[in-house]
Amino acid sequence: MRLLSYLLALMAGAALSFEGAIYAELGKSIGQIETSFYNFFMGSIILGLLWLFFGKGKLSYALEAPKWSLLGGVLGVVYLTSIVISVPFVGVGITMVAVIIGQLVMSMVIEHFGWLGSKKTKINKDKIFAVLSMIIALVLIN
Amino acid sequence: MGLFMILFTLIGGITLSAQSSINGTLSRKAGTIETTFLTFLTGTLFLTIFILFFGNGNVLGLLDAPKWQLSAAFLGTMYLLLTVMAVPRIGVIATNIAGIAGQLVIGVVIDHFGWFNSLVIELDMKRVFALLFMVLSLYFIYRGNKRTSEESAA
Repeated sequence: MRLLSYLLALMAGAALSFEGAIYAELGKSIGQIETSFYNFFMGSIILGLLWLFFGKGKLSYALEAPKWSLLGGVLGVVYLTSIVISVPFVGVGITMVAVIIGQLVMSMVIEHFGWLGSKKTKINKDKIFAVLSMIIALVLIN
Repeated sequence: MGLFMILFTLIGGITLSAQSSINGTLSRKAGTIETTFLTFLTGTLFLTIFILFFGNGNVLGLLDAPKWQLSAAFLGTMYLLLTVMAVPRIGVIATNIAGIAGQLVIGVVIDHFGWFNSLVIELDMKRVFALLFMVLSLYFIYRGNKRTSEESAA
C-alpha cells in the first residue's frame, strides 16, 4: 500500500512533464498564451464539477479572504506560459530542472522569512546543498 | 536564446512556489478543491482579458487541434488528485520528492525519444551524471525537511 502511494506520487510528477511536452506542441499551433488560456478554462470546468460533487470547503470565503491570497491564479499563469514557451527551445528535461530550482530557492526564501502566511523555517545547510546539486545537474544537462 | 529561456523558466518556478504558499494559506479556510477551482477561475479571467488585447494566436484553433493535445488539461488535474491521494499515506515531504523524481526522469525520457514531436536530446553520459546530482539533491531536500520537521516537533 505504501509502495503504491510512492508510485502515485511518481506518476503525479510524470504527469507534469507530459503536460509540458504536450502543451508545447499545442502552443506551436494555436499560440502560447492561447494554450495557457485553454488550460485554465478547461481546468475551471473540471474543478467546477469536482467542487459541485465533492467540495467540502467554503468557496464564499474568497470574498472575506485577504486580497493577496487570491493571486494564486495569476501566478499559475506565469508558470504555465513559461513552460509552454521554453520547452520547444530547450526540451522538457532542462525546463523541468530550471522550474524545480526556481521553486526550491524561492520556497526556501519564503519559508525563511515566513512570507505569504507560511510557517517560518530557517534555511539550513541541507537545503543549500540541495539547491547546489540541482544547479550542477542543470549545468550538466544543458 | 537557450540561456534566456532557462532564466525565464526559473521565474516560472519562482511564481509556482509563491503560488503554493499563497494557495496553502487560502486552502486552510476555503478548502483544497475550492482553492484550486478559484486558482483556475481567476487565471481564466485574467487570460481572457489578456488575449483579447494582446493575443496573436488563434484560440479557435482549439476546435481543430488533435484531441491528444487537448487531453493535457486532465494531466494537471491528475497531478492534483494523485498528490492528494498520496500525501495522507506517505506525507508531504515524500510525496513532493517522489513527484519531482517522476517529473525529472520522465522529462529526460521524453527528450531522449522525442515524444510528442518535441526536441530530441539523447540521454548521454553527461545527462546520466545530471540525474545522479538530481538524486543527490532530492536526498538533501529529504534531510533538510526532516530536520525542520523534527525541530518544529521538539
